[in-house]
Amino acid sequence: MDRKLSIPGGLTGALVGLAAELALEEITGMEIVNGLLAVIGAGFGLIRIDRRIYEATANLIKRVPVEPNSDYRDVLEQIDEMSLELPELRESFVKLVQAGIEAQKA
Amino acid sequence: MVGLNTLSKFFRKTIGPRIEALGLLPQRYYLHRALDALEEDDIDEALRMVTLAGNNKKDARWRLVCQQVIFRCRVLASQHEKQLDRFKTEMEIFGKPSDLSDTYLRLQKAEERARDILRSYELSLFAQLNGRKSNSVTAE
Repeated sequence: MDRKLSIPGGLTGALVGLAAELALEEITGMEIVNGLLAVIGAGFGLIRIDRRIYEATANLIKRVPVEPNSDYRDVLEQIDEMSLELPELRESFVKLVQAGIEAQKA
Repeated sequence: MVGLNTLSKFFRKTIGPRIEALGLLPQRYYLHRALDALEEDDIDEALRMVTLAGNNKKDARWRLVCQQVIFRCRVLASQHEKQLDRFKTEMEIFGKPSDLSDTYLRLQKAEERARDILRSYELSLFAQLNGRKSNSVTAE
């Protein structure tokens, strides 16, 4: 079946949707879209927990404070010291570093 | 749409926290919340969520999230430690002018307190990680 896309139709639909959302927000006092996005986000978060854990691990390294006069060895030493007796986290850090090196080679 | 949103808001504002505190929700929910708290450096909440999620201490995800919170505690504690050293050095170099000494001492105490709270969080998490019972820690 041949379907044609209509730009004015799309724009009208978007406008009607926006007007409906604003009207509902005015009437109910609730932020419909934000609420829905929060629920969807939480749902995805539950399903994609492994991805979130990976992102949090990368984020941990990014948030290690770096002194202006320190080089990468100081930072590695600091990370090493902070991750003492945390074997699974260390392993994740190593995997992240290896992935970074491989990405640079590729 | 309105129903779902209203229900979700109603849940979060009324019975949500109570059910959450019972530890009856899926482990992934608590880990998700712990990661949210960790992102915002709300270590107290992250510790609470990790504790609630910790029914199975051998679970790889739980162990990793727990270790992430410990790591962040150590990083933050070291920052407070450095700040403390800086204050001490400045007081040694510039002496103790009476008008500033009170401020310096107050700042030092605040840094020490922050560091100690973070260390107690770390110890509590470490005890959980190693399967020991931990005393509950709350920031006053």
